[in-house]
Amino acid sequence: MSVPLVRLRGIERWFGRVRALAGASLELHAGEVHGVIGSNGAGKSTLLNVLGGLLAPDGGTIEIAGAPTAIGSPRDAWSHGIGLVHQHFTLVPALTVRENLALGLRGRSFQEIDQIVDVTIEQTGLWVPLDAPVRSIGVGDRQRTEILKTLLRDPKLLVLDEPTAVLTPEEVDGLFTLLRTLAREGKAVALVAHKLDEVLAVSDRLTVLRTGETVLSAQRSDVSVRGLVAAMVGDGVADEIAVGVYRKDRPGSSGGAHGNPKGDETTAGVADAAPLVGRVVDVHDDALVDVTLEVHAGEVLGVAGVEGNGQHELALVLSGRRAPIAGQAHVPEEVAFIPQDRQREGLVVDFDLTENVALALSRLDRFGTGALMPWEDLEKEAERIRTRFDVAAPSTETLAGALSGGNQQRVIIGRELALGAPMLVAENPTRGLDVAAAAYVHGELTRLASEGLAIVLISTDLDEVLGLADRVVVMTRGRAVDVPESERSREGVGALMLSGGAEAT
Amino acid sequence: MSQVELVLFLESAVRLGIPLALAAMGETLTERSGVINIGLEGSIIAGALGGALGALAFEGAGLGIIAGAMAGLFVALIFAVFAISLGADQIITGTAVTIGGLGMTGAIYQAQFGATGTELSLPTLAPVAIPGLSEIPIVGTAFFAQAPTAYLAYVMAPIAWYVIFRTAWGLELRATGEAPAAAEAAGVRVRRVRFVATLFGGAMAGIAGAHLALAHAGTFAENMSAGKGFIAIAVVVLGRWNPVLVLFAALFFGAASALQFFLQALGFDIAYQIFLALPYVLTLAALAGWVGTSRAPAALALPWEPHR
Repeated sequence: MSVPLVRLRGIERWFGRVRALAGASLELHAGEVHGVIGSNGAGKSTLLNVLGGLLAPDGGTIEIAGAPTAIGSPRDAWSHGIGLVHQHFTLVPALTVRENLALGLRGRSFQEIDQIVDVTIEQTGLWVPLDAPVRSIGVGDRQRTEILKTLLRDPKLLVLDEPTAVLTPEEVDGLFTLLRTLAREGKAVALVAHKLDEVLAVSDRLTVLRTGETVLSAQRSDVSVRGLVAAMVGDGVADEIAVGVYRKDRPGSSGGAHGNPKGDETTAGVADAAPLVGRVVDVHDDALVDVTLEVHAGEVLGVAGVEGNGQHELALVLSGRRAPIAGQAHVPEEVAFIPQDRQREGLVVDFDLTENVALALSRLDRFGTGALMPWEDLEKEAERIRTRFDVAAPSTETLAGALSGGNQQRVIIGRELALGAPMLVAENPTRGLDVAAAAYVHGELTRLASEGLAIVLISTDLDEVLGLADRVVVMTRGRAVDVPESERSREGVGALMLSGGAEAT
Repeated sequence: MSQVELVLFLESAVRLGIPLALAAMGETLTERSGVINIGLEGSIIAGALGGALGALAFEGAGLGIIAGAMAGLFVALIFAVFAISLGADQIITGTAVTIGGLGMTGAIYQAQFGATGTELSLPTLAPVAIPGLSEIPIVGTAFFAQAPTAYLAYVMAPIAWYVIFRTAWGLELRATGEAPAAAEAAGVRVRRVRFVATLFGGAMAGIAGAHLALAHAGTFAENMSAGKGFIAIAVVVLGRWNPVLVLFAALFFGAASALQFFLQALGFDIAYQIFLALPYVLTLAALAGWVGTSRAPAALALPWEPHR
């Protein structure tokens, strides 16, 4: 095969202690659409950002047309003809679409720019409201503007990070036709999308990333869907450790323990016997469509699905942090919540453990109702959490930001449980944790369910959901689809995720 | 108010508004880039001293104005190095620059002319009446028989407007102030744009200071900037970051200051401190009321470092 336009080899990138890329490689050829796939946190966006000059790699080599090259900035990337369409929009909200487009074409007169814009829109069919401020246009228009802005500069390599997430199916079709045309005209196109069927539909070649490594790179025609899914989620032994062990020891699962009869595995058995703790009926919200769910004491309700299909909104509704636009949400007054972003939603990283504990617990009656903070009691509570949950911190005066992700998660779990709430909502509780820390979290969730807590486990990690949940629903385009027992396998749930629930109804 | 009084009032309103307009015009560009230069006061006082010393050294008020611009730019350079290059907090850096500027100019002045403040007599910037325009009844002399720096302010307003809203650099400037990450991704050198905008703001503030010394007072006095840097920042807000509106906002503040003198002169039996406070009270009222709906550049006062 010819020399690739771009070749990334052995790319490494760390974010603090997290290794986002662990020797990833990628070869992009002119005239090809190249799909990059992988589950969440596999490093797809990081790799593309390295390519686009937004992130500097910590190791590895980049070759452009065979010559070793460093891409030091977005400007550098452009000088090599690499145009990146970002996942997070990089448009200036206060400027009009036209002004945003002009910003990408610096160094030309506005008349010239208008001309180029008109011609490009005509050629690509990317119609956008040119004179509207970006802040006033919809996400689909913004996405088209992003793509148009990049195409205006005539890149040799067009890199798109999750371009389809906000487009309607027809718009996606239009975009893919455009990408095929661009490839035919000799451009290289690299595309990340988490909907596997979309990537398969448009790509000539595929690269699969898993935990920062390239595990598969092949022609589209040489691989099966099953093979790709296996490569994405990995079916090595190591991946099973985190989930499998605790499942087997689970006290509740043999029936009877702590008054939670769940002797047989049928959904109905659990639902009928255990008391109802949380219930949402016909809920509609920004990203939720007619969701009805019940959560019972002592069960783990697993919510699977590709990121951005309404799970986050569901987590907010179930944890009482958001009132749905329509429908009813009956949830306990106090709901323990493990948010997915520990450092932003979970903890104040510049606060020590006591202060973080105080933030959530000081409103509880047992810490008094006066205006003064009962610091001594809160300190004791923090110390209790530190020892009980084995937090690797020298004292309660340690700053939360100084802890590893796993230990931060222990603090959050400890603190949330101290609320004494009957229900726990956990959103991607093991994201970014190493295997041992993830195993600890899984063990705690299992133990808590066996003690009668109602748990909603929302996760994009299919193995986690399948390993821990008593019942499973899949979120797809805002709908919650029940997964029957017979379908509760990686392939079955995966198919539901991809089909958008069409086969389930 | 008789017609003579009205003319006098307008004339002094414009005269008092011009230094504000010059400083605020520069600050408008600075803030459009996402930098709030609280050190503006420091640039104004440096411009006043620089203008005075320059006018003495070069024996001409015109060259004094240029020296003032340089002095204001130099102070803004100090601010820019800390607040832009090193990413220090803009408010704290700006406050330090203002305090430092007031202190340093006082020290230099005393070293040069003695602690008693020998009355310093400077070449002054004489008013220039524009033929035709200055003969318009009532407003003619007020607006068109002013020092040349006033005409600079008039001309700068549409030019700055054009630069901000109609040129490629202005587009980069606005993008930098609204969404530096987006600007950077488009290839704009965010810190360079901010640097240029801040130095320009400093030079304009320096001209405002030199105008105070050479066109108003004909001398330099310690602390003669008297908070004009801060009022100029309020003027920018009142003018909604639009140079043309900023010019009018500055004249409005000039009118408020002029009114203060007139009310005093007309012999209202109220403590004069009340009149002195008038422009500042109007500042607060304007900020609270009229400006309620306007929006500052989204990235104003946020340091920018390319994340890599």
